[in-house]
Amino acid sequence: MSTNPADGVTTRYVDLRPQTPGGGVPVLLLHGFGTDFGMNWRAAGWTQALETAGLRVIGPDLRGHGTSDKPADSSFYLPEHFVADLLSVLDESGVDEVDAVGYSMGSRLAWELALTAPERVRRVVLGGFGPKNAFAGTDLSDPGSGDTPFDLVFRTVAALPGNDPAALAACARGQASRPFSDEPPLTGFPVLLAAGARDPLAEGAAALAERCGGTHVEIPKRDHANAVSSKVFRQAVLDFLAD
Amino acid sequence: MAEENITFALPDLGEGLVEATVLEWQVAVGETVERNAPLVEVETTKSAVVIPSPKEGRIVELHADEDQVVPVGDPLVTFAVRAEDAPQAGIVGRVPDEEPRPARRVRLKPPTD
Repeated sequence: MSTNPADGVTTRYVDLRPQTPGGGVPVLLLHGFGTDFGMNWRAAGWTQALETAGLRVIGPDLRGHGTSDKPADSSFYLPEHFVADLLSVLDESGVDEVDAVGYSMGSRLAWELALTAPERVRRVVLGGFGPKNAFAGTDLSDPGSGDTPFDLVFRTVAALPGNDPAALAACARGQASRPFSDEPPLTGFPVLLAAGARDPLAEGAAALAERCGGTHVEIPKRDHANAVSSKVFRQAVLDFLAD
Repeated sequence: MAEENITFALPDLGEGLVEATVLEWQVAVGETVERNAPLVEVETTKSAVVIPSPKEGRIVELHADEDQVVPVGDPLVTFAVRAEDAPQAGIVGRVPDEEPRPARRVRLKPPTD
């Protein structure tokens, strides 16, 4: 399915309905930078786990990623553009309220969505995410050229088939032009932060969880790339969404 | 009920990948796993993946430890399945022990362009 809000950039998404609905609210899964829904969530076991839990899944490929349009101009990648895309996806799916589950960049967008449209979000999961500037020390005119954690991420994802490095660089610049701020904190929502114990991009996650009155789960032995498929992470989210 | 052992090899994970590291088994020897339930979590140079079980059956042997690197096509797990569920011809692709595997490897070389 696809949606095409005001600026003409098409966002494509899946809407997966469980065979046996369990009555929970739909789950909006927001993938990380340089991946897509299928790679970040489906391949990592999430659609199967949520289907088993009887939960409907809305899964966009964010603009610049996967099957969605990939403009190469950073002015198309401000956080509010992504939020507009997500609201458009929810409207088109006829979904009033979701649990927003993000990983990495998707967590930042889940945060922005909850702040922008609190009436559309019930609970928030921020995976692989911390309040630190993810782009710190990175030369965004040539991402991937250095040795910062983001450079390493960029080099990995730029080489993936189907990715457009120019669009990804534009996406990074657009996101970086609006640095994340934990002011105001996300309050008024149950918030779960979960990240690998060895994830440098999630530094400060525990303090951020505390600031939001939320919960923090550390995933033992995992890093930014491999925490997402962890059973510990999935189970923490299923428990958090269920109670 | 008669049982038959079937060994499942690490499948082709696509994109020219030739191996994966076992992160965490989702099953243990002696447990029964349903078809499509999580079997094992592996990591490639590109992503982390949960491989679903291709069969319903009892786990007889895990062929790799956690943190071990497994080449595509190498044995991953052996199931005991009910004999009537055992594939008679290539649906799941039973791999007889005597059959050499290298044909798959050639195809899996990364593209050179």
